[in-house]
Amino acid sequence: MNGRLYEKIKELFSGFAGKNNYRMRRKIKGRLMFFLSFLAAFVGVTCLFSILYSLIKTGLAGMSLALFTDDAAPPWLENEGGMRHAFIGQLILTGVGSLIGIPVGVLGGVYLAEYGNRSRFGKIVSGLADVSVSVPTIIVGTFVYSFLVQPFGGFNGWAGAIALAIIILPLVMRTTEDALRLIPWTMREAAFALGAPYYKVINDVVLKSAFSAVFTGVSLAVSRIAGETAPLLFTSFNNNYLSADMSAPMPSLTVTVFQYAGSPYEKWVLSAWASALVMTVFILLLNVILKRMMKRRKFS
Amino acid sequence: MKHGPFESDLASEHLNFYYGNKQALKDVSLNVEKNKITALIGPSGCGKTTFLRCFNRMHDLYKGNRYEGRILFKGKNILEKGTDLAALRGQIGMVFQKPTPFPMSVFDNVAYGLRLKGIQNKQELADRVEAALKKAALWEEVETRLNGSAMGLSGGQQQRLSIARTLAPEPDVVLFDEPTSALDPISTAKIEDLMRELRGQMTMIIVTHNMQQAARISDWTVFMYMGELIETGKTDKIFTAPSVKMTEEYITGQFG
Repeated sequence: MNGRLYEKIKELFSGFAGKNNYRMRRKIKGRLMFFLSFLAAFVGVTCLFSILYSLIKTGLAGMSLALFTDDAAPPWLENEGGMRHAFIGQLILTGVGSLIGIPVGVLGGVYLAEYGNRSRFGKIVSGLADVSVSVPTIIVGTFVYSFLVQPFGGFNGWAGAIALAIIILPLVMRTTEDALRLIPWTMREAAFALGAPYYKVINDVVLKSAFSAVFTGVSLAVSRIAGETAPLLFTSFNNNYLSADMSAPMPSLTVTVFQYAGSPYEKWVLSAWASALVMTVFILLLNVILKRMMKRRKFS
Repeated sequence: MKHGPFESDLASEHLNFYYGNKQALKDVSLNVEKNKITALIGPSGCGKTTFLRCFNRMHDLYKGNRYEGRILFKGKNILEKGTDLAALRGQIGMVFQKPTPFPMSVFDNVAYGLRLKGIQNKQELADRVEAALKKAALWEEVETRLNGSAMGLSGGQQQRLSIARTLAPEPDVVLFDEPTSALDPISTAKIEDLMRELRGQMTMIIVTHNMQQAARISDWTVFMYMGELIETGKTDKIFTAPSVKMTEEYITGQFG
């Protein structure tokens, strides 16, 4: 707030409250603070709900059984065509990306929490993982493009899955690390005191104790990559056919929605809305369920 | 080195211990009588827990810790390089201050140390788990819920479960690190009872802040102060007629 404005407001307040009537001034300031913060929260919630409202309203109009059972059809064919290829493609990309990223991430998290917790290398990796969580995902896409698309002469499903794996990796690694660190050291000592080697202590006691925390963290990470578009644009690209061939361009829901939504055909635009609704509901439900689970879990 | 007039297969000789540069134990020599209970007492920070954790080399888990001197167990110096720590910890068990149930069933908790020793036979496992739970005075309470999670037990039950888990591999020595300080009086009494029951079957060393507890259950009492062993003697003697002034002052509550 600049000085002059502040002076003016001060003048305004002192105008109707006596110079010594600081109680009244504070009361008004208090009300003002409440009102402004309420307004800000209201604006935020309104934005969210208007997105949901238009998504539901327009999305439901485009909803049909064909959306899930048919593949893409030319826009001039009325009442035909769906997004089955894109739903399946998205599932394959997310699934393969998770299959690559999660094991590496969990193992990396084990290293950070158990073996590397006092080494400089461990600290650097942990810090870098924090940074890479916030790297714009399109940068990951271009990076993967440079070594998995360009050298092979074309977009392919592997590149898309690996881009997603690279995004999920630091997320999984950090949540695993945090979850394992919450397990008290006395638990580990108790296992050591029975003569267990370190790898058995980690497997039988630490990972088991932290299982629900690691599981929820990993699932939230999966729900994050499930809605990614940018890293797929340069990697798996898109196509209009049902395909499970990872060495060719693969259809994905997010990129298809992006293309359909920008197309001049009303039918395609409606399909895009409907798909966006399906995806939003899916991710929303996943998040709500997982956060519920996270609240309920208890640490020993 | 001073040999007592009793059977012993565990002794420390001129033991020094360092956390980094800080010396925590100074020239501690102690002969532990076999199959009896020895209590380590002394004010906070006197080194009694540090001393206890030397016997199963727990300090090796952390960097920068260093031992000097010898700890003889069955005639072998266990501080020597190349000592098989897993095997050592199979013979010298430990019970911690807080109950540490593993996130698995009651049965699997107790069987954990047995499986580590390579016992696979189901009948043998079942028999030894039952025996250990009976020794720990827990069998009747968990008989019907062996496959239930150990996390569902009460604090006192969890601590007796930890004891059963330690007893299952039939160690020669059990180290107790303030085993009742997190428990209510009834659970404490149960654990003291079971320690008395076990006397004669294994050597027990207990670190305790509770002097009545030391007086109630131990045969020998060792008083430590500032990393040094001040006085060792039969528990009756230490608590009625200590020969060192400082011991008397500590026991009568004048410091510590």
